[in-house]
Amino acid sequence: MTEQLYFDHAASAPRRDEVADAMERWQHGVVGNPSGSHRAAREARRAVEEARDEVGAFVGAKPGGVIFTGGGTESCHLAIVGATLAHRSTHDKSVIVTSRVEHDAVLDAAQFMADHFEDVEVRFIDVDADGVVDLESLRHTLDRDVAIVSVMAANNETGVCQPLDGVSSIANGSVPGGVVTHSDAVAAAPWLYLPSVTATFDMVSICAHKIGGPVNSGALIMRNEVPLAAVVPGGGQERGHRGGTVDVAACVGLAAAVRLTQKELVDLNDRVLDFQHKLSAALSFLPGCQVTAPSARKVPGTVHVTFEGLASDELLFLLDQGGVCASAASSCSSGAAVTSHVLAAMGVSPERARGSLRLSMGPETSEQDVDQLIAVLSSVVYRLRGGA
Amino acid sequence: MSGGVDSSVAAGLLLEQGHEVVGATLKLWGGVSDSGCCSVADVDDARRVAQILGIDHHVFNYTEEFNRHVVEPFVQGHVQGTSPNPCIECNRHIKFDVLFDRARRLGFDAVATGHHAQVLERGAVHELVRGADDQKDQSYVLGYLREEQLASLLLPIGAMDKSEVRIHAERMGLRTWDKPDSQDVCFIEASKGREVFLRQRVPLTPAKIVDRATGEVIGETDAAELMTVGQRRGILPGRDGEKRYVASVDVIEGRVEVGRLEDVLIKRIDLVESSLSFTHGAVANGEEVLVQWSAHGRVSRARFSREGECALLMSEPARPVAPGQTVVMYRVDEPTIVVGAAIVARP
Repeated sequence: MTEQLYFDHAASAPRRDEVADAMERWQHGVVGNPSGSHRAAREARRAVEEARDEVGAFVGAKPGGVIFTGGGTESCHLAIVGATLAHRSTHDKSVIVTSRVEHDAVLDAAQFMADHFEDVEVRFIDVDADGVVDLESLRHTLDRDVAIVSVMAANNETGVCQPLDGVSSIANGSVPGGVVTHSDAVAAAPWLYLPSVTATFDMVSICAHKIGGPVNSGALIMRNEVPLAAVVPGGGQERGHRGGTVDVAACVGLAAAVRLTQKELVDLNDRVLDFQHKLSAALSFLPGCQVTAPSARKVPGTVHVTFEGLASDELLFLLDQGGVCASAASSCSSGAAVTSHVLAAMGVSPERARGSLRLSMGPETSEQDVDQLIAVLSSVVYRLRGGA
Repeated sequence: MSGGVDSSVAAGLLLEQGHEVVGATLKLWGGVSDSGCCSVADVDDARRVAQILGIDHHVFNYTEEFNRHVVEPFVQGHVQGTSPNPCIECNRHIKFDVLFDRARRLGFDAVATGHHAQVLERGAVHELVRGADDQKDQSYVLGYLREEQLASLLLPIGAMDKSEVRIHAERMGLRTWDKPDSQDVCFIEASKGREVFLRQRVPLTPAKIVDRATGEVIGETDAAELMTVGQRRGILPGRDGEKRYVASVDVIEGRVEVGRLEDVLIKRIDLVESSLSFTHGAVANGEEVLVQWSAHGRVSRARFSREGECALLMSEPARPVAPGQTVVMYRVDEPTIVVGAAIVARP
């Protein structure tokens, strides 16, 4: 068996030992229902509220603003659907404004609302060739009917960061009385200092498994109190925003992950930024390889490239044979690579987009891993180009 | 691998024979489907089979190629009043072309499938032979395969009948994947059918149904594109009380001609020259072959002619064949061996 080189942190980061240790206490024997009143329930409730404090601080919000959810997709769905439903109850028309490069969690939630309600419309903000939202285009989407503006903090495929301050300033300046803003910070969370990056946004979505925590755990964090209807009202947990028994282990796991992320943020950025430069430089020498959005501001952990005339399926197959876990960054539920809507919005040709590869790094990545990856990927590319 | 019993057992047998096997499922259709072989559920089934067998499994996305080579020509064929066979086109352009190329690039020695057909090695040449199970024989849909593909193709279950395949499946612990064989066109929702599929993509043409012998209009249809030459179903009997068969479909003129069986029988099948494909060398002008023009259709004797237009001259009158269909030719002396294939032209 070949040694495993894990370059798919952006899909799911390795679970940190500290996270597993913190969760362990809540995965055996009696775990009280945090809504109850006896001692086991109180103990569980206390763990949840301590976790809430930490998660709130991670994003720069008050603990009361943290709504624990079942992950990033659910957080984004709650933000989009919840804010739009609340808007509908007081307006004749509700417009969802979002960028063309959002994760499906946001795009599909917006489309879901437009499909089900005739008074809901989705408007898209165009992006430039780097995938950065065009603020002029944003301006054109805005009017008094806008219910929510949702723009991600960093792109999950390319790692490109968005000018969130510019977005919120234009959005709030153009809509009388201001507008509700949401940022999907799932891909940004391992890298960016969210209290400052999302300071001008009302709601922020994060999830645990991109930062070393468990899957099916995330949070929608309200930095400002905005009207939000419940998507799953049953039971009234999470201050009526998300019904269902609160999963203590999931909350504790998320808190442990944000604690580690916060602690390591500066060192990690420093170290992985060097890897990103090294990897980008090495790959740009491979025949037909183009680094995506080379001059845009990106999170350090992601290097996205396209290979002229090669297919992601084949690159990934041979990389897998060589022990490298990587991804094409866009895949459908079957696991097959599909043409990326992000690259399409950036104007990348379908032919080039077919040869996409995302290499994503994290706290576990070493310089030796990067060197080995470069060696394996180089031989794979030469082989597919008809070399030995 | 479709997750079905045939491809699963094929993979298992190769593994037992000592091959290094990797499973691949092709994601072909991006749209809605409730039948056929490319839904997420099928991919999950295939992946589970691979896990049980202990082999790696990959999903390859060929939706774009499938749309270009199979779905679009299927739709355009109907627009022109022909009846292309999408399964044959998929085999020809996807499974045995782009997948073969990919397998070679990725370092594989052979591609294996769960088709009921056989590759016979005779010295330096390879022959495509009917599957041992008459009821399941799929040599027809593989008719375009040529020597260079046959040389690196493995068909591990082709020598078995279906009951043997099921016994192997049970022995390998795969019996829960004993799902029904897919019969339908995989990109068309069985609950909605071909008409709904086509109407969502192209306008369909109303047509008059005309009795060929008398010129009398005996009915109408709201979609000439859905009428297939040779079809009887859905056509009213004539005044004489005899059954009528579709003899020709003219979408542009909006005219479907029908006739009594004896009036519509054909003596020659014209072939699209550019579509001719032979396993090895070309069949000689005037040589006799056996021909079959549907998946489990009957076999007729014909003479291959290259005088003027390429054609098959039938030794006995036959039911009419729809333009766009594929005719597969077999040897007369060894009737299980495929010699080539071609698409039926308009007469």
